[in-house]
Amino acid sequence: MSTDLGLPSLGAGAGGLDLVPTTDAKQTAKDYTSDQEVRWCPGCGDYAVLAAVRQFLPTLGIKRENTVFISGIGCSSRFPYYLNTYGMHSIHGRAPTIATGLATSRPDLSVWVVTGDGDALSIGGNHLIHALRRNVNLKILLFNNRIYGLTKGQYSPTSEVGKVTKSTPMGSVDHPFNPVSLALGAEATFVGRALDSDRKGLTEVLGAAAAHRGTALVEIFQDCPIFNDGSFDLLRKPETKDQRLVPVRDDEPIVFGPENERYAVVQDGLRLKVVSADSVAPEQIVTHDASNHELAFALSRLSDQDLTHTVTGIFRNVDRTTYDDAARAQVQQAKDRNPTPDLQALLDGRDTWTITGQETR
Amino acid sequence: MTYVISEPCIDVKDKACIQECPVDCIHDAGKMLYIDPTECVDCGACEPVCPVEAIYYEDDLPEQWSSYLTINADHAAAGPRFDAP
Amino acid sequence: MAIDRPGHEPASTFSRDRVVIRFAGDSGDGMQLTGDRFTSETATFGNDLSTLPNYPAEIRAPAGTLPGVSSFQLHFANYDILTPGDRPDVLVAMNPAALKANIADLPKGGVLIVNTDEFTKRNLTKVGYAANPLEDDSLEDFQVHEVAMATLTRGALEETGLSKKDAERAKNMFALGLLSWMYHRPHEGTERFLREKFAKKPDIAEANILAFRAGHAYGETTEAFAVTYEVAPAKLAPGTYRQITGNTAMAYGIVAAGQTTGLPVFLGSYPITPASDILHELSKHKAFGVTTFQAEDEIAGVGAALGASFGGALGVTTTSGPGVALKAETVGLAVALELPLLVIDVQRGGPSTGLPTKTEQADLLQAMFGRNGEAPLPIIAPQSPGDCFHAAIEAAAISVKYRTPVMILSDGALANGSEPWKVPDASTLEQVDPGFATEVNAPDGSGEFWPYLRDPETLARPWAIPGTPGLEHRIGGLEKADGRGSISYDPDNHDRMMRLRAAKIDGIPVPDIAVDDPSGEATLLVVGWGSTYGPIVAGARRVRGLGHNVATLHLRHLNPLPANLGDVLGRYSRVLVPEMNLGQLALLLRGRFLVDAQSYTKVSGLPFKAEELQDVILDHLDLGALADSVRLEASA
Repeated sequence: MSTDLGLPSLGAGAGGLDLVPTTDAKQTAKDYTSDQEVRWCPGCGDYAVLAAVRQFLPTLGIKRENTVFISGIGCSSRFPYYLNTYGMHSIHGRAPTIATGLATSRPDLSVWVVTGDGDALSIGGNHLIHALRRNVNLKILLFNNRIYGLTKGQYSPTSEVGKVTKSTPMGSVDHPFNPVSLALGAEATFVGRALDSDRKGLTEVLGAAAAHRGTALVEIFQDCPIFNDGSFDLLRKPETKDQRLVPVRDDEPIVFGPENERYAVVQDGLRLKVVSADSVAPEQIVTHDASNHELAFALSRLSDQDLTHTVTGIFRNVDRTTYDDAARAQVQQAKDRNPTPDLQALLDGRDTWTITGQETR
Repeated sequence: MTYVISEPCIDVKDKACIQECPVDCIHDAGKMLYIDPTECVDCGACEPVCPVEAIYYEDDLPEQWSSYLTINADHAAAGPRFDAP
Repeated sequence: MAIDRPGHEPASTFSRDRVVIRFAGDSGDGMQLTGDRFTSETATFGNDLSTLPNYPAEIRAPAGTLPGVSSFQLHFANYDILTPGDRPDVLVAMNPAALKANIADLPKGGVLIVNTDEFTKRNLTKVGYAANPLEDDSLEDFQVHEVAMATLTRGALEETGLSKKDAERAKNMFALGLLSWMYHRPHEGTERFLREKFAKKPDIAEANILAFRAGHAYGETTEAFAVTYEVAPAKLAPGTYRQITGNTAMAYGIVAAGQTTGLPVFLGSYPITPASDILHELSKHKAFGVTTFQAEDEIAGVGAALGASFGGALGVTTTSGPGVALKAETVGLAVALELPLLVIDVQRGGPSTGLPTKTEQADLLQAMFGRNGEAPLPIIAPQSPGDCFHAAIEAAAISVKYRTPVMILSDGALANGSEPWKVPDASTLEQVDPGFATEVNAPDGSGEFWPYLRDPETLARPWAIPGTPGLEHRIGGLEKADGRGSISYDPDNHDRMMRLRAAKIDGIPVPDIAVDDPSGEATLLVVGWGSTYGPIVAGARRVRGLGHNVATLHLRHLNPLPANLGDVLGRYSRVLVPEMNLGQLALLLRGRFLVDAQSYTKVSGLPFKAEELQDVILDHLDLGALADSVRLEASA
C-alpha cells in the first residue's frame, strides 16, 4: 500500500538511467579501465567480475563521467580504483550511506555500490536494509565469498555453521544470513543473483539492475582462492552444476538440469520444492513472476548454504517510487510554490521591531 | 589484456592451469593449451601453477614467443574447440 | 503612572531596570510555550532579553513529581544583558513539585505566584511535603500570591462547552495573561499566535485566548496585585531586531550558506536532543534548495552528507555529542578526502547518554582529537544564540574554500536559549565561489587530472564533481600520493601528506583576538569560549562595577586559534578559564602556550551565573573577602 503524495513522478516503468546523460560515442572496456595496477590475489573472483563490469558499462551508452562507483572496505572494495569513472573507496560498511547522499542530490549520475559480505551484511547491515527499503536509485553489487579475505580469513555473516577459520578453530557457531531473503525482507524492489564466472548470466542481471529505477541488489557468488577456495565449486563443476543451478527468467516455467535429467520447481504447500520434471504435468510447474514478492522469497529459501539448489537470475523486479525522486520532487514542489525565495524575509521572520538611530539595519 | 600460453606448453599440456582458472577460459586444442583472450579476466591464477613456465601476462611475453599472442587469440576465434572431457 | 481599575484603587506602577521571571510547572503544563510567548511579547516590546529553558529528558515524567518539573527562565531589561539571570525575581509555580524544585532559587522578598488548585494532599505527599507550605510559615520570606488558576480558567471558559479537563489545560495561558498584565506586555502577538497554532481547532484557540484574557483581567480587577512593573525598552544599537534561538539561527545560517556559496544544501541527520530542531527548521526551507534526509542512524546521516558533498552539494550533518562519537570515522574520511562538510555538534551533558536536555561544553577535545590518526579540522564555537547564524556561514565558507570538514560547537544553552537578534542584511553576506575544477591539471603535461594537486596559497585540493568530463578520478580513505592522488604506502609520502593536511588547517586565517580590558591595567585575564560568553562578561562587569580591573577574551575560533593569542596570554600574569567541563580549553592553552591557565569548572548541566563568576574572578584577584561581603550585602 502506498500513499499518494501528490508529487510529480517519472511515471511507471521509468528506467534507472532515464536522467543520466547519454553519448553516441563508441565506448569500449578499455575506456573504463583505469591506469591502476589490479592487485587482487591470483584466481580471485573479483577479476572475473571486474572484467564483466568493464565490458558491460560501455553497453549502457551513458557518459562515463556520469558513472560513479562507491565502495566500502574489503578486497572487493578496491574495485573503484580499477575503473576509469568517478569513484570513492570509503569506509567499512558505509558505502550505501554515501551513495544515498550522492544519488539523492545528483539524479544525473549512475551510482553503483561495490561491497562484500562482511562490508554489507555485518558492519554495514543497517545501511544496506535501509537503502533497500528506501529504494534509492543505486545499484549494489554484493560480492559474497563467505569469508573475510582482507583481514586474512575469519568467518563472515554468510559463512556456514561449523566453518573452521582463523577465528573459529572449532568451527563457527554463528548462523548465517541468506542475503537474498534478507533483501526481500527489507522491501527491496530488485534482487538478483549471479555467479562470478558466469559472464553471460552476470551481465544479464547487471543490465536489468542498471535499467531498474530504484535500489538493485545483485548478489555475486565469488571465490576466494586463498581463504575459502572452491566454496562454490558445486555450482561450477560440469558434473554438478546443472543439477544445482536453477536459473530463473520472468514468465518462464522454472525447469533446469542436464538434457537427460530435467527438474522442475513446484509448489508444496506454502513452499517450493524441486521434483523430476517428468513426474509432474507442465501446468504444475511454477512460472517465475518477478513481481511476486512471496514467490521471490520462496525461491530464496529453495536451499540453504549447502547450494543444493541455487537460484540465479532476477528474483524480484518491481516499480516503486524511489526515495531520491520523491525527495527531489518535494524540493521542486516547494520551489514551484515559492519560485523566488527571499532570504531576507526568512531572517526577518514575522515579529521584528526596529530601534531607530542612524543605522537602519 | 590477457594471459598467453607460449611454446613450452607444446606436447606438455600439464593442465594444472585449467584446474586453476576461475572462468574456464583455457582450452585444450591439439598440441598445446590456449587462453581465450576475450574470456580471460587477468587474474593470474594460471601463471604460477605452470610446471614449464609457459604462461605470461601479455605485456611480459618474451620477445621470441610474441607470436603466441595471436596464436592464442586465433585459436579462440577459430573454434571448434576440442575441450578436455 | 497608574492603570485604571474600575471599583478599585489603581495599581501603582514601579519602574525596574531588569526582571527575571521563572515559569515552573509540570512538563504537561506547557511552561515552555508560556515562556516562549512571554519572551516574544518582551522582544516585541523592545527589551533586551536572554532565556533559559530547563526541561526534563522524559517527554512526560509522572505528573506532579519532581523529575517532571519543567521551567523557563527569562531575563529582560532596559539595557544590554548577557545571561538568563542568576535568580528569579518572580517565580510562578504551577504545582507543589515546581515550588519545591525552584523555591531555593527565589531570593528573600521575591514574588511567588502559586496555582493553589494543585496543592492537594496527594500532590503534596508526592513530593514529600508533610504540611502544605501555603498554610505554614515556610514561605513568609516571600510575597506570595495564591491564585486558583485552574478554577479561574474553568470559570472563564464555562460558556465554551469544553470539558473540565480541556478547559483546565489552558491555565498556562491564564498565568501568561496575569504576568503580561503585571509587566505591561503587549498581547496582540500572543492572540495571533494562538489563532495560528490552533488554526485547525478554532474552539481550542478561542479557549486559550479567553484564558489569556481572563488572567489579564484577574490582575486588573483583584486587589491581590497592587503593583505592576514597567521595564522600559532597551537602548540597543539601531537596527531591525527579532527574537531568535540558537537552533533557529543555526538553521538560517545553513540556508544562508547555501545562498552565499551557491551550492544546494544537503542535510543528513538523525534525530537527537538538543539538535533535532535544526533538522525540523531546515526541512521547512526546501524552496531554498535545501534537501533534508532523516537517516537510519548518525553514521548514515554524515555519510549521506559526505556523499552529497562529493557530488557538489554543501553537505551538512547536525547532532549532539553521542552522535559526534558515532560519526567520527566518517569525519576522518572527510579529512582524508578533503571535501567540504559541516558537522554541527549541539553539546549536551555527557558521558554516554548523560543529560540530554542539559547544557555542557565537554566535547571540545572530542572535536579536536576525537578521530583516529592525525585528523585536524577547523572548529568554530558561537558565543550567543544569534551568533549561531554567523558561525554557520563562516564555517561553510572555510569548508568550501579549504575543502575540509568544519565542526561547529554549539550547546544546549545556546540552542534553546533566545535573545533579541539584530537581523543581518542578507545582501551584505560574503559570497564564496566553490571553484569546481573543470580542467585537467597535471604539471607534467600528461593531460591527467591530479585530485591532490594543491593550491599553493590555501593548500586546498581541486574539487572536481562527477559529471565533469575528463576529470574522472578515485578518492578514498587510503593514503594518497601527494599531488597525483593514487594510493601510496610510501613512508615519506605519508609523513608529507600528514603535515600538509595539518598545515592547511593551521594556515586558515582567523581574526586576531581582541581583549576587553577597559582600564588597560588588569593583571587577570579571563578566557572563555562558546556559550559562557554571557556569564563571563556579566561577571567581569560586576567586578569592574566594584572598582577592580579584569580583562576578558572570548574564543570563537578553537582551531586554528587566533595567531596573536600566545602574545595576548603572555601579557597577563594570571589567566583564568571558566568552562562547563573539567578543564578542556585550559588543557589546550597550557599545552599550546606553556601558560599557567587556571581552570574554573562546573558541569551541573546549567550555565554559569554572573554572580558565581564575579565571585570566582574576585577570588582569583585575591579578593575573596570582598566576594563574601558582596554576598552578605546582597542577602541582607
